[in-house]
Amino acid sequence: MLKNRASSIKSIIRNYFRVQLIGAVAIFILAIIAFTQCSDRHPSVNTPEHVDFNFDVRPILVRNCYLCHGPDPSSRKADLRLDTYEGATALREHGITAIMPGKLKKSELVRRINHHDPEMVMPPPETNMKLSEYEIAILEKWIDQGAEWTPHWSFITPEKDNSIDENKYTIDHFIDEKIEQAGIKAASEEVPLKLLRRVSFILTGLPPSPEMVKKVSEGNDTYTYEQMVDHYLNSNAFGERWARHWMDVVRYSETKGHEFDYTIMNAWEYRDYLIRMFNDDIPYNEFISEHLAGDLVSNPRINEKTGSNESRLGTMFYTFSEGKHSPVDTKKEEADRIDNMIDVTTKAFQGLTVSCARCHDHKFDPIPTADYYALYGVLQSTRFSPVPSDNTVTKWKKVEKIDTIKSSIRNMLSKEWDSNVVEDHASTHLINNSKLNKDINNKHYEMLGDFRGQNLDGWKSDGIAFGHRTTLGNPMFTQAGKKLSGLSSGKASSKTYGTGIFGSIRSPNFTIDKDFLGVMASGRSSSIRIIMDNFQLIQNPIYGELEKKVNNEKMHPVVFNLSAWKGHTAYVEILPGTYKSHVYRLEKDAFIEAEYVVTFDEEWPSDVENLSDIATNSNDLISRWSKAQSSKADIDLLNQLLLNGKFRNSNVSISEQLIEMKKLAESLIDSTFYSGVYEGYGLDSHVFNRGNTDDLSEKAVNRGFLSIIEENQKSIENDGSGRLELVNTIVNSGNPLTARVMVNRIWHHLFGRGIVETVDNFGLQGKLPSHPQLLDHLAIKFMEDGWSIKKMIKYVMMTDAFRRSTEGSIDVDKVDSDNVLLAHFPVRRLEAEAIHDALLAAAGNLNDSMYGPPVPLYLTSFMQGRGRPRASGPLDGNGRRSIYHEVRRNFLEPMMLTFDRPIPFTTFGNRNVTNVPAQSLILMNNEFVIQQAKVMAEKVISLKFSEQKSAINYIYVHALSREPTEDEMNFAQEYLRLVAHSYELEESKISDNVDVWKDYCHSVFNLKEFIYLI
Amino acid sequence: MSKKKHIVHSPMSRREMLGLCKNGFGSLAFMSMFGGISSACSKIENIPGVVDVNTGQLPHLVPKAKNVIFLYMDGGVSQVDSFDPKPRLDKENGQDPRKKFKVDNTQFDNVGKILKSPWKFKQYGECGMPVSELFPHIASCVDDLALIRSMVSNFPEHTNANYFLHTGSGIQGRPSMGAWATYGLGSENNNLPGYVVLDGGLIPPGGMDNFTSGFLSASYQASILKSGPVPLANIQPQEQIDGLQQQKLAFIKQMDNRLIGKLGNVDAVESAISNYELAYKMQSSIPELTEFKEETAATKKLYGMDSDDENTRGYAAQCILARRLVERGVRFIELTCPKVKADRWDQHNGLKDGHERNAHAVDQPIAGLIKDLKSRGLLEETLIIWTGEFGRTPFAQGNDGRDHNPSAFSMWMAGAGVKGGVIHGKTDDYGYRVIENETTIHDLHATMLHLLGVDHERLTYHFGGRDIRLTDVHGHVIRDILT
Repeated sequence: MLKNRASSIKSIIRNYFRVQLIGAVAIFILAIIAFTQCSDRHPSVNTPEHVDFNFDVRPILVRNCYLCHGPDPSSRKADLRLDTYEGATALREHGITAIMPGKLKKSELVRRINHHDPEMVMPPPETNMKLSEYEIAILEKWIDQGAEWTPHWSFITPEKDNSIDENKYTIDHFIDEKIEQAGIKAASEEVPLKLLRRVSFILTGLPPSPEMVKKVSEGNDTYTYEQMVDHYLNSNAFGERWARHWMDVVRYSETKGHEFDYTIMNAWEYRDYLIRMFNDDIPYNEFISEHLAGDLVSNPRINEKTGSNESRLGTMFYTFSEGKHSPVDTKKEEADRIDNMIDVTTKAFQGLTVSCARCHDHKFDPIPTADYYALYGVLQSTRFSPVPSDNTVTKWKKVEKIDTIKSSIRNMLSKEWDSNVVEDHASTHLINNSKLNKDINNKHYEMLGDFRGQNLDGWKSDGIAFGHRTTLGNPMFTQAGKKLSGLSSGKASSKTYGTGIFGSIRSPNFTIDKDFLGVMASGRSSSIRIIMDNFQLIQNPIYGELEKKVNNEKMHPVVFNLSAWKGHTAYVEILPGTYKSHVYRLEKDAFIEAEYVVTFDEEWPSDVENLSDIATNSNDLISRWSKAQSSKADIDLLNQLLLNGKFRNSNVSISEQLIEMKKLAESLIDSTFYSGVYEGYGLDSHVFNRGNTDDLSEKAVNRGFLSIIEENQKSIENDGSGRLELVNTIVNSGNPLTARVMVNRIWHHLFGRGIVETVDNFGLQGKLPSHPQLLDHLAIKFMEDGWSIKKMIKYVMMTDAFRRSTEGSIDVDKVDSDNVLLAHFPVRRLEAEAIHDALLAAAGNLNDSMYGPPVPLYLTSFMQGRGRPRASGPLDGNGRRSIYHEVRRNFLEPMMLTFDRPIPFTTFGNRNVTNVPAQSLILMNNEFVIQQAKVMAEKVISLKFSEQKSAINYIYVHALSREPTEDEMNFAQEYLRLVAHSYELEESKISDNVDVWKDYCHSVFNLKEFIYLI
Repeated sequence: MSKKKHIVHSPMSRREMLGLCKNGFGSLAFMSMFGGISSACSKIENIPGVVDVNTGQLPHLVPKAKNVIFLYMDGGVSQVDSFDPKPRLDKENGQDPRKKFKVDNTQFDNVGKILKSPWKFKQYGECGMPVSELFPHIASCVDDLALIRSMVSNFPEHTNANYFLHTGSGIQGRPSMGAWATYGLGSENNNLPGYVVLDGGLIPPGGMDNFTSGFLSASYQASILKSGPVPLANIQPQEQIDGLQQQKLAFIKQMDNRLIGKLGNVDAVESAISNYELAYKMQSSIPELTEFKEETAATKKLYGMDSDDENTRGYAAQCILARRLVERGVRFIELTCPKVKADRWDQHNGLKDGHERNAHAVDQPIAGLIKDLKSRGLLEETLIIWTGEFGRTPFAQGNDGRDHNPSAFSMWMAGAGVKGGVIHGKTDDYGYRVIENETTIHDLHATMLHLLGVDHERLTYHFGGRDIRLTDVHGHVIRDILT
């Protein structure tokens, strides 16, 4: 638990003043005590009674010392580090110690910060940094008081303070305590209608409905504030609002930017996933594990409506990076891509800026480059791939059913066969096979994958298509299914169940060391790709060679010339379907089969044989077959026997089963896909010295997470990426950051400012928490309440602090101009999306349908450049909320940008709130705004109000969530007359004149009250 | 160590802060919102996060330049065909480059033979600087140019190279140099944005993010001016009747003031109210700017407004507009290229035709701009920068194109604080790599800021755990070319 910061003498004095408990004499005495308590050396500055290392001292050291005496050895001067206790107190040359606890005179630091010689003083004058007298006094007092050293506050796990009576000690206690200490008075509760608008916008991003306005303005006592909060917390619009908050954090985009702005497949499914996530209040720890390892979690969530795997959608957040289609250096490009993922992952979930440690140890935080590359290894072991949207439990059940039918067919057939026949022929077979056993020591090729045996030779089979074994020994039937025509040879086949089904086999990683790679393959509308350095956007001019389409149903060699890329790490991906402009498509009749994959120099090896698997044992030949455990030689022999008619009966009719299997297989067809991940093979990374991908450290770094979070860090042993281990480290209740960072984000969205203002940076350069005890209290409560985001939101919203009026006072302004203490609720400008959606809502034009593909972008003539969509979308976005508008990286919506929606390139937990004339110009002249004014005007006219006042009232309620005052009513009527006059219109004609009402509605949209929560 | 850092703990309310600034409340709000006032005051705006404005007292140095005109040659001009003649290419034309030197991987990986320049070079001016036939007009200004033949970039791909050239970083989302300049220095005109991009027809690969303010306040975002009846988005009033908009604005102001009266002191809302005044003024100042009523026929001719080539005419208009913006105190002006009947300067094939079309469009207007600024005494306070994002290979791509080459290219500067008629840096005999005075994009940025009176190491913004600079942790002022 963080120590409650000792209140300063100054604030004590102020308190006494306020409550007037003691008289002037007492104050005088107190002042004397205060001064004598201060270091004598700095009589003119007031320092706290007890200096707190984290709150008073460390910020001074970070700002002034760490660039040269911090964690990064590459920029360290004089081999002195002041970021660790050991470093700061170490005995140095000439018996000098920088800091000797309790001994001012023996601490070299004290001497140097007070030095008058510019050669000696610290920090050196050329840094343009100079310690203030206050800072010097703090450092001295701290050393004098024993130089207590604690880890950075955010790295200490918050602990529950059991001495506190939780029923009494609520959020408001923490807040009010500080307000009292500051000697100011908190504002009173806001009036109900304003609270309604606040709650509605903050929870849903929309104005309250006129019905709600009516309900609340009627002052119905039975409708409580709590009911109001619950109402909005449980509305669908809640998820639409809070999903967007998270989209800022994960740099959500539907295209990849760069030169041609290629599509990120079905990115919107992630947006919908988020909306459902927030609405269903999925615990935040699950939310994290789905993001990091949704493809690996043992019990994935299933979407109740569609039956598809919900958890897996979370992994899409990895794929929102920029994508470069023709990087000259794929390794460097991979490094940039992974850097972005590390940056976003660590900022989003841990509030740490780990990507600062890419080229050197972090300058301020205890994050060495080794940690960065430990995490790098995890991400480079993760593979990117289309994932079928329709990834349902039902499908997998059907797969099981087909498998059952298949094995029952084998059983049936094997019972019919006479095993005696077999033995007579076994010896011949052995002789035949041994002929093949040559060249074993003379290989001029390397086998990367051999699928002629029973298994997939250590390749990963993702998705349904390939199943978990090859086709070896599969019974083949004449068309009607009446007669067994033979047993299949071994191939990896995406037709294992049928065509048009998604799946892929992917090889282990290998280093390209031969000129060519060849695949013996056949197929239709399918692809083989060499994924080098995890590079996916394969195309000409440079990388076209890395992807081959397979469109020939006869087995044939597919050869890749890889000579240009020797030394790169790569894997082979064999999958049905093809890519067009980097969007994956799978035709209904697409399939691919492969026998083996080899690498070689010069000629295609003509003598590639299955050397490991030649002999057969005639014992249990049939029993092996029935269990699908035959070797290639087994099958050759069985086929020979079948051909010679040696089996007594192979006329079992299985036509019914075949029909059933075919039917089942048809329902397995996949047609839509999103960009997701599959597990790769564990691949540790070397450190790239100074970030240079050509300059590697000698040893690779074990995959893992941050050493500061996990002391005695266990390296990841898993032969996959290790993402599940990553999840465990992050959602572990001992992790000091995870819960704090999230409750702080929630607080930020509710109050407009986090308890830690730098919501994405809890490191040494981040801001200190304004209410540290409160932050910890919330973090612990969050975990105790099952990581429920909705519960936390409600817990905060039920406070007095949240319900306060926005009215500040001059007194408050003087003491706390930034309103850090929350003596009143801050006046907030609505976000870009809320302004946009409020226009639609006010106009009565809001289409509240949820989910689905984005509304195409409305293009103005100012939005030009490569990758521009051919056609523009509708001006009003079909009335859909802005969260459903297309997000194209290179064509971001101007209105959104102008009102501070961030550019999606890194985590933005905290938007800028700017105030620029371009915003005024949009509200004054933008065609969308004018259009909505017109829609609203038409609506008003269509309602045929008997009185003008009722029409004005309607507009007020819809746009400003309240009724006009009498004054305002008069102003409005006067203004309508003026406008009518401009149009040379008689007063009596106003009521059904669209222009006049349009201008009036447009004016109301331009009121500050419309875009501010006041 | 030369970084100045001081976190501003402001116990002062914004209101008090405002009181300190001479301009008084309203105008300060306008200016700061539109890059009109430097960052030294912008910390008082509602910019969240740690806004440690470490800029110190700006300008740091005595500024030589007030404004910058950045002539961006989108796609990458071939150095060996423009400002860096290489006779050896003539001699070895048609030979295999791999037998002559190590050839790096290129964007199109289609390395052809060594390709001589299709254009002749001639020496010009008192300095005798050689320029090819592509630029006969610019050639007449060589005594005003400081040519750098030793530029290098970090990226061989357009988008990264464009982001790098514009923002000092190869990735999307960093603030553009124009945003940095206005963040540091503000604009000198309250009715116009401080950073303007004149869209000549081609938006460079990477799109609008080349001109973004990134994590700096949106105030420093470029305003894109197009030619045509509506030069700036949302600038045209929608009201059809004279005076109606004023009537509307008056009503809005009246209602807003009533609100403020009830609210007490809410600075953000007050600023939002005041922004309407500037927005209104912009509506009239922009059209005034783009109508060339007072430009004489001689001036127009100087720029090439009478050319047969519509692209020359178009670019000439942009150059005149650039001068007019300079006259009005706009800090940073970038011109993008016109859309000629060939690709941008990116001649992967058809070098002769493509480069000639692009050169013809910009040559006379640029020379006109230099001469016009000079005759009006504006060149001495205006820095002109001419460059592409990288150069091109001295060997062919296919038969008649050239591929991207980040290892060497030529750029030039002219005007404020820059020596005329000098050549800095040197490439090898093929113009393929730099062999002397290698100059980076960071150096270019450092020099540009230096001429504006800004120490590039002290203009920082705290973001994502770091004090970020336009020049990252690099950059040296190119002192040799400065007066």
